[in-house]
Amino acid sequence: MSRGRVTSHDRYGDCVVGSLVETDPATLARRRLIALWARPHTVWGWFATVDHKEIGVRYLVTAFSFLVIGGVEALLVRLQLAQPEAHVLTPEQYDQMFTMHGVTMIFWYAAPILSGFANYLIPLFTGARDMAYPRLNAFTYWSFLASGLFLYASPFVGQAPHAGWFAYVPYTLKEYSPGLNMDFFALALLFLTISTTAGAINFITTILRLRPPGMAVSRMPLFFYSTLTISGSIIFSLPPLTAALVFLELDRQWGTHFYDTSHGGSAMLWQQLFWFFGHPWVYIIFLPATGMISMLLPVFARRPIVAYTWVAFATVLTGVVGFGVWVHHMFATGMTQMAMSVFSAASMTISIFSAVQVFAWVATLWQGRPVLTASMLFALGFLAVFVIGGLNGIVTAVIPVDWQLTDSYFVVAHLHYVLVGANVLPVFAAFYYWLPKMTGRLLDERLGKWSFWVIFIGFNLTFFPMQILGLLGMPRRIYTYPAVTGWGQLNLLETVGAFVLTIGIALSLWNFFRSLRHGAAAGKNPWNADSMEWETESPPAVYGSERIPVIATRHPLWDDFDEEYDPDDDRVFDEGRVTVVTSALDGVPTSVAKMPDDTMTPFLMAAAMTVLFTALLLKAMGVALAAVVGCLIVAAVWLWPEEERRVRV
Amino acid sequence: MVMFIATEATLFLMLFFAYYYLRHVSRGPWPAEPPKLTLALIMLGVLATSSVVLHAGERAERAGHPGRARGAVAVTVALGLGFLVLQVLEYRDHLRTLTPTTDAYGSIFYTITSFHGAHLAFGLLMLLYVLLLPELGPGRKPPHRALHNASLYWHFVDAVWLLIVALLYVAPHVKR
Repeated sequence: MSRGRVTSHDRYGDCVVGSLVETDPATLARRRLIALWARPHTVWGWFATVDHKEIGVRYLVTAFSFLVIGGVEALLVRLQLAQPEAHVLTPEQYDQMFTMHGVTMIFWYAAPILSGFANYLIPLFTGARDMAYPRLNAFTYWSFLASGLFLYASPFVGQAPHAGWFAYVPYTLKEYSPGLNMDFFALALLFLTISTTAGAINFITTILRLRPPGMAVSRMPLFFYSTLTISGSIIFSLPPLTAALVFLELDRQWGTHFYDTSHGGSAMLWQQLFWFFGHPWVYIIFLPATGMISMLLPVFARRPIVAYTWVAFATVLTGVVGFGVWVHHMFATGMTQMAMSVFSAASMTISIFSAVQVFAWVATLWQGRPVLTASMLFALGFLAVFVIGGLNGIVTAVIPVDWQLTDSYFVVAHLHYVLVGANVLPVFAAFYYWLPKMTGRLLDERLGKWSFWVIFIGFNLTFFPMQILGLLGMPRRIYTYPAVTGWGQLNLLETVGAFVLTIGIALSLWNFFRSLRHGAAAGKNPWNADSMEWETESPPAVYGSERIPVIATRHPLWDDFDEEYDPDDDRVFDEGRVTVVTSALDGVPTSVAKMPDDTMTPFLMAAAMTVLFTALLLKAMGVALAAVVGCLIVAAVWLWPEEERRVRV
Repeated sequence: MVMFIATEATLFLMLFFAYYYLRHVSRGPWPAEPPKLTLALIMLGVLATSSVVLHAGERAERAGHPGRARGAVAVTVALGLGFLVLQVLEYRDHLRTLTPTTDAYGSIFYTITSFHGAHLAFGLLMLLYVLLLPELGPGRKPPHRALHNASLYWHFVDAVWLLIVALLYVAPHVKR
């Protein structure tokens, strides 16, 4: 059957089909699909959409904006520290600045940007029409945005959080921090927790049940393993954070004594709960990035990844063992020798799993014929930086060394090597790799390579000297330092490096905006890649791929396949908003699931929750109660069974 | 729903962890005076009954008797409301000797029990909502998804109360 020649394609409107009669079945099927899945082109439609691609793009844009905001805060911190005895910021402003930098980057940039990729890509990888719970997905985005705006309301009343991103009690109790600063912190994070948990549940269900027929777990893209792992981690690691934050708010606003040692409480309780959450979180913002590397690095090495099974297992085990290492953040707090040895050993074990992944990537490069695209450069840069970050991580897992280095600039260097290395660089690699799929335009390779080198040099200029400063004894989070310490020169170098880094990022941003106008058309599969998202148009049509695909191998687009073979159009599913559900392990089709329509309920739910958290901040309990009732009403409307949507074509 | 319950269960696990951690670091007797058992055990009986009734209701629904299922859900809701009334009575008695702001024990005790109460109220709302849903009427095919999810959640909340009774009410008596 001929598919017809589609000359141009509008995401929301109709197909424009050249010289074809309207009776062509393929064209009609496509038009029916568009009528089914496109949202109305109105303000209502903008707020009500549940399309995973639109939500994914919004996630990426919002999270990237947080990266820029957090970056500006970091620059101000660096300016303050560039010279001894500087007074660019006041001490209070400085505290707020480094806290907001850390909180923004760790919570509102690093995890959400990966959610953005996962949102956009997972249904395309599987050929499913959307995520498993499209409305929950929309809610996840709106509540992420709302919690971010909630947090950023705090600087405007001059009361931004100011106790570091891990907010140790007793500094954060009312006695020492009487303002609303830490209430903003606690409530914004609680709000974000809801969003993140909902997202994790959605990813797990999508990956387990919406894979295409034939995609058994042994054929899943490696990105699925990492997203699955971290989603599981999220489900079990966010509750301790929730508990810790609830206790903090109760202590601060309602006079309880969880952390108050004078009334039988314990300041260490915060640390235990926070780090029991905190360390899995490190893997949550790192594993999906390695998953993306495991997808794009083999494409540019022109061969399948080496040791697929080992990489998959290492990913899952990192997530599991990640729960057993939280105490290594607290070696300096005093505990038994035995406890310290166990956690020190666990911390070193976890580096084995990371090493497995690194060796698999290196072997893939070794065995392949690497093509040095801009995306590949970022991936290689990630490898280099990540190895350094890993090595100085092992150093801090050794307890005597940790005692020497804790709370010094060495730790700041370590965490930036790991987080920038394992999150920002892979994210840029992924941008250069997948943005052409999202925009339909290729980015400029030369500019991309320039951007990489400037970022890479700027990054090392900024953070390498921090290790030396740490060894020299410079503590973290100090407002300023006297000239006699001799730290001035290295600090100046770091500040210069931070600005170089900024220029590198700006180059990529400029590259992106330029590509929207001047970029070459990407076509379906510009990189000759192996996974299913490259089978769709660039940018993909609203409905994703026309047919729900059938998968026979791990690299569907590299191996011989006959995707077009569907003589009776059994796999088009253009009768309603539906998608195919398969079994969790083998990918055997089990049923056809009805998908929801576009709706305002997710947005309204996030709005009602914003009211709730604002009311809790101001202790307006009447308003809070009304907001809870509002949430319940929205939930009732949300869950009410909806009428079947009819095709209009 | 299973995943939602898993994350909620972890939350309660963390609350129990906090309880034991605070006990571990406390000096002096913990708690100063163990809570009274009678009401808590009656409440446990109420919830256990409600779980059995709800399970019977679910089985009736599967067997194709939506009317009986509705009845069972209604009875469960009534029992749940009864639990909440008992909880208020328990609090009124308990608050005379201990408040959330007395000490860390009071803080964690009331946090755990009131979190449970809130979850129970949430479960009640779910069950009421199931009663309102059009699908639980005649002419619909089992199984009923919403009923199943709501009852899973209800059983979970009941199981948490069992743990609370065991750890917060009974255990301090055993120590003596």
